[in-house]
Amino acid sequence: MLSQIAFFGALETGLIYGLVAFGIYISFRVLDFPDLTVDGSFPLGAAVAAVLILGGWNPWLATLMAVFAGMAAGAVTALLNVKLNILNLLASILTMIALYSVNLRIMGSPNLALLYEGTVVTWWENQFSPENYYMAPVALFLVVAVVVLVLLWRFMKSEVGLSMRATGANPRMARAQGIATGGMIILGVALSNGLVGMAGALFAQSQGAADVTMGVGVIVIGLASLIGGEALVTPTSVLRALIACVVGAIVYRLAIAFALNADMLGLQAQDLNLITAVLVTLAIVLPGFRTKLQARMTRNKA
Amino acid sequence: MISAENLELTFGQGTPLENPALRGMSLTVNQGEFVTVIGSNGAGKSTFLNALAGEVIVDSGRIEVDGQDVTRLPTHKRAHRVARVFQDPLAGTCEGLTIEENLALAIKRGQRRWLTSAVKRSYLDRFRAALAKLNLGLENRLTDKMGLLSGGQRQAVSLLMASLTPSSILLLDEHTAALDPKTARFVLELTQDIITEQKLTALMVTHSMKQALEVGDRTVMLHQGQVVFDIAGPERKGLEVKDLLDLFEQQRGLQVEDDSLLLG
Repeated sequence: MLSQIAFFGALETGLIYGLVAFGIYISFRVLDFPDLTVDGSFPLGAAVAAVLILGGWNPWLATLMAVFAGMAAGAVTALLNVKLNILNLLASILTMIALYSVNLRIMGSPNLALLYEGTVVTWWENQFSPENYYMAPVALFLVVAVVVLVLLWRFMKSEVGLSMRATGANPRMARAQGIATGGMIILGVALSNGLVGMAGALFAQSQGAADVTMGVGVIVIGLASLIGGEALVTPTSVLRALIACVVGAIVYRLAIAFALNADMLGLQAQDLNLITAVLVTLAIVLPGFRTKLQARMTRNKA
Repeated sequence: MISAENLELTFGQGTPLENPALRGMSLTVNQGEFVTVIGSNGAGKSTFLNALAGEVIVDSGRIEVDGQDVTRLPTHKRAHRVARVFQDPLAGTCEGLTIEENLALAIKRGQRRWLTSAVKRSYLDRFRAALAKLNLGLENRLTDKMGLLSGGQRQAVSLLMASLTPSSILLLDEHTAALDPKTARFVLELTQDIITEQKLTALMVTHSMKQALEVGDRTVMLHQGQVVFDIAGPERKGLEVKDLLDLFEQQRGLQVEDDSLLLG
């Protein structure tokens, strides 16, 4: 039903989108800041990494720069909100639109190919035998996802991380405890978009190209992963919430791959966004439906 | 010590809804004093507390805490000197965080926060000892989510959090008003115990004249954004609600129209 290559491909993109889900977890869940900047910071990360790699930079260094670029984009959104009092959603839309121009400027063209460049994946591919080459990116991105997950988990348990969680949960209480809530929002949204920038950089390297339109719908895919993950792994703690992000992203990618590969459904690549919307709707509705069903079952028993 | 001098604050200046909340309010609270504040709705009690805490910035006047001018400082820059318990029992704590995480936030009130672990093992004994004083069994529930606690329990923890680190003043904003009578009494007794034991300087807003006279050692009444009278010491002893009302009418030639002041 699903070829091995398609399966590993889904795992690979799922792990990369796990980073996007981490970012969206920080903005939407931790800070309660609906941030659409990600649709711009994802291709921004890709653009920065692609241009630098083509300029002969070390791919890891180029990826790091993509993280900084994403953080800068997030900081702009947060500053618009905190300092200029623009509604958070609107502030993020403004940055997202602005980034479209910025990305075109950075790349100098709508897309850049990285097919013959050394990327972060190259070294890993050489460690695998030629017939297993498609497993290399999965191994690499698994390591990346786990490292980021552990770092984020430690961060959320730190004094600064706890302040950030308090800022999102109860800003008045946070201020009364001496927390500069504005500063926490700036830091958090920057961190969130830094992760998305990294995801964009890795995605470009895994796909062999950066494209200015590759950010369209990243927010929806990220949300789908987040909400889907939360439905599968109940996020009772920070660690579980972070694990839910990765699980959700992988399951989402696998679901898409199955949907597109199942001939009987007759779906094609252009139906992707429709499938996404349906999956997100299901992910939002199903957990409530499950509770209702459980309630009915227990009532019947009693 | 905290002193407010001639505070003026008008909400919605220049609009039809213009509302002068503070009109030349002045009050000095000395070290170790426990002052109760009363006044009818709209007298400026909450605005005064918010101005002291930094949640609103006054139009003019001067606020000093321990000799430092804090008039223009935002809330978080005053937090190391000013501790606060809100009226809403849900407002003082984060329900999504555990009890120990809430206490860990409070133990660093007004201090720099770093990337070290927030809930340090060295804090835990202190947290348990503090919680044990509440007699609610919370010392065994450190890792429970705050949201699992009742309103009264959460208000008790809020009070504990406000007194976990030293402050120049503790602001209590009708912190028992939203609780049932039994719980309110428990939280009020706890408040008195903590204030006496730690010799705190405190300002407690209450809507009940009876309560205002029963606790603390000085009572201040606000009316239309000003202090209308201020009694302490022997003068205050033996004073009853009736006397307080007479005093108010003498001072202002006004009738107290707000029944809630009498009923409380």
